[in-house]
Amino acid sequence: MSGDIFDCIIVGAGPSGSIAGYLLAQAGLEVLIIERGNFAGSKNMTGGRLYSHSLEKIIPGFSKEAPVERRVIKETVTMLTGDSSVSLDFQSELLGEEKKDSYTVLRADFDQWLASKAEEAGAILASGVRVDDLIIQDGKVTGVIAGEDEMEADVVILADGVNSLLAQKAGLKAELKPDQVAVGIKEVIELPANVIEDRFNLNPGEGAARLFVGDCTKGKIGGGFLYTNKNSISLGLVFTLSDIGTEGLSVPQMLEEFKQHPAVKPLIKGGKLVEYSGHLVPEGGLTMLPKLYGDGVLVVGDAAGLVINAGYTVRGMDLAIASGEAAAQAVIAAQEKGDYTAPNLAHYKNLLDNSFIMRDLTKYQDFPIFMENHRIFKQYPQLAVDIFKDLYLIDGNPLKPLKKTALSHMKKVGIVNLLKDAWKGGKIL
Amino acid sequence: MKKIVACYKWVVDEADIRVEGKARSLNFDRIKYKISEYDRNAIEVGASFNEKQGCQFLAVTCGANVEASLKDVLSRGPESIAYVNDGALEETDSSVTSKVLAGIIKKIGEVDLVICGEGSSDGYSQQVGPRLAALLGYASVTFVNKLELTEDGIRAERKLEDGVEVVELTGPAVVTVLPDINKPRIPSLKQILAAKKKTSEKLELAAIGLDSLALKQKTLDVSGTVMERKNIQINSGGMTIEEAAQKLVQQLKADGSLA
Repeated sequence: MSGDIFDCIIVGAGPSGSIAGYLLAQAGLEVLIIERGNFAGSKNMTGGRLYSHSLEKIIPGFSKEAPVERRVIKETVTMLTGDSSVSLDFQSELLGEEKKDSYTVLRADFDQWLASKAEEAGAILASGVRVDDLIIQDGKVTGVIAGEDEMEADVVILADGVNSLLAQKAGLKAELKPDQVAVGIKEVIELPANVIEDRFNLNPGEGAARLFVGDCTKGKIGGGFLYTNKNSISLGLVFTLSDIGTEGLSVPQMLEEFKQHPAVKPLIKGGKLVEYSGHLVPEGGLTMLPKLYGDGVLVVGDAAGLVINAGYTVRGMDLAIASGEAAAQAVIAAQEKGDYTAPNLAHYKNLLDNSFIMRDLTKYQDFPIFMENHRIFKQYPQLAVDIFKDLYLIDGNPLKPLKKTALSHMKKVGIVNLLKDAWKGGKIL
Repeated sequence: MKKIVACYKWVVDEADIRVEGKARSLNFDRIKYKISEYDRNAIEVGASFNEKQGCQFLAVTCGANVEASLKDVLSRGPESIAYVNDGALEETDSSVTSKVLAGIIKKIGEVDLVICGEGSSDGYSQQVGPRLAALLGYASVTFVNKLELTEDGIRAERKLEDGVEVVELTGPAVVTVLPDINKPRIPSLKQILAAKKKTSEKLELAAIGLDSLALKQKTLDVSGTVMERKNIQINSGGMTIEEAAQKLVQQLKADGSLA
C-alpha cells in the first residue's frame, strides 16, 4: 500500500469476498475487505448446505476447523400433494467421501470464520461500513466511497451480493428483474442433537438434506428444503419472486402451511423457533450473467449471479468460493504486469470459463425454462401419490393390475406431455 | 491541554440472551459482546472534546475478556487505550471494577476529567462513576446531559427528576452522562482503519497495585422476569359500560391496585 491506496478493495465479506481476500493477502497484497453488516455473516443467509469441493481445494481439511454443522450422508426428495407425500431416499457412504461431501452450515458462524481466515492471512476487515458508490475516473474504477470517506485501490472486487448496486453503478449489470430472482425464506428450529439423530436416523455428526416439490409451493416453481444442523433444523422455501401472491397466500402463510403438512410437522415437532430470515437468490443462470469485469473492477459470487438453479434447489456457495479464487488469481496476475485494465482482467473470465462454474451453468442453462413447466410442480406429485395410493390402499375392493391403474393416472397428465417432459428433462440433465 | 479519560464496559449484548423454561434461566450460548450503550455517549463526549478543542483523550476498560473490544472503541475517537484483561475479573461488582479503573487512571496520571456512562447496559447500578470519584479524590457529577470545559474545570447541566441543575466546579472531576447528551457516532471507514494504527497499553493488576481482588458480593443466580397476564375479560357477554366499569373497579381493588 503506497500512502492510502490499497492494492485491492473487496466489497462484501461473504464466501466469495473472504476467499478472494484470503488468497490475495496470502500473496502479499494489501487488501481491505469492507462489510456492511456488523460482522461477516450477519446479513447473509443460506438454505443450509455447502458443497465442500471448492473450499477443500483452497483450505484442505477445512471442515475440521470451520464451524460446519453436520456432514450430509442422506438425501431425500419428497413429492407433496395437499395431504400425501412420496419420497425417494438415498443414503450412502459415497456422499461422505472427502472433496465430494457437503456440510450443513449456518452463515452467521461460517462467514465469520472465513473472514477471520482472511484477517489472519493479513487482510484488513472493516465491518459495519456501507459502500455507497465507486470512484470512477475515465471509465476506470479506482476506489470506493463510504459515507464521506473515499478510499482508493488498484482494483476493486465487488462481492456485495445478489442485489449488487455497485455492479450496476459500474455499468456491468442491469437492475434485477423479478423473474431472475427467487425469494428464500427459512426458519431455524431448535431441537436437541439426539432428537435430530433419532428422528432422521443419523449418527452424531451426520446430517440429512431433504427437498420437497409440489404442494409446498402450491404448484409454483420452487421447492421446500430441510437441513439438519447440530442442534437445529433449517426449514424453508425457495420460489420465484414474480410468483409471490399469485396463489393468494403471503410468504409467511406459505411457510406456515408447509410446516403444517403431515410429512413435515412430525419432523419439527417440539422444536423451538429461534431464527427467521429471508433473502433473494439469483436464479436466472446464464441469462442474467453480467459483464464480469471492467477497468479496475471484477464481480464475484451472488453479485455476478453465479448460482445454479435446478428448479427445486439452488446452489451458490461453492460457486462463490471458486469465483473468489479465480478473481484473486486474475488480480495477482494483473499486479505482476502492473496493468488492471479490462483486457488484462479478462483472465478472470477465462478462469471461470474453464472451471466447473461455467460448465455447470451452461449445462443447466435451459433448466430454468424447463422447470417453468408447471406440470413438474403440480401434476407429477399428484401422479406419484395416485399410483402409490392404488398400490397401498386396501379396502376390500378387487385390485386392478398396477400397469392399468398407473396408465389411467398417466393419461390424466397426458402420455405425450409425460414423454415430452422426460425427453426434455433427460436432454438438459 | 486537558487530559480526558472515558471508561467503558464490554457487556453482553442483551439481544442475544435467551430466557428459557419455567425457571427462566438465562442462556448465554450464542452471545456477542458490545460497548455498553451509555458508555458510547461517554466516549463520544471525549471524542468531541478531542476533535474540537484538542484535548488529549484516552479510553480505559477492564474485564476478563475485553481485548475483543479494542478495535471497536479505538474507532470511536480515543487516541489510545489502557486496559486490564484478567481472568480474575470474570465476575466483579462495582466496587472491584471502580478500584481497577481508578488504578489504571492513576497509572495514566494527571487526568483532568473522567467520563462514564450513567450506568451500564447490563447491571445499571450507577455506582462506578461516584465510586471512582471517591477513590481518585475527584469531584463527582452525575446525570449530566450537557457538558462544557472551562479554564480550570467544567460546567455541567444535570437533568434531575424535578428540574435542571447547572453546576460549575474547578479541579478534576468524574462525570456520568445521560444518553441525551449526544448521538454516538457510527465509526466511518477511515476511523476504523485509523483505529488499527492506534496504541493500546495492557496493564497487569500488579502494575496498578492490586494483587488480590476481594469480591464481597457473589451472584448466586440470575433469571429473567416475566409479567404474568391474568387474562381477565371484563366486558364479555354484552355487559353495559357502567357494569363493566364497576366490575373493573372491583377487580382492581381486589388486586390491591386501587386503595
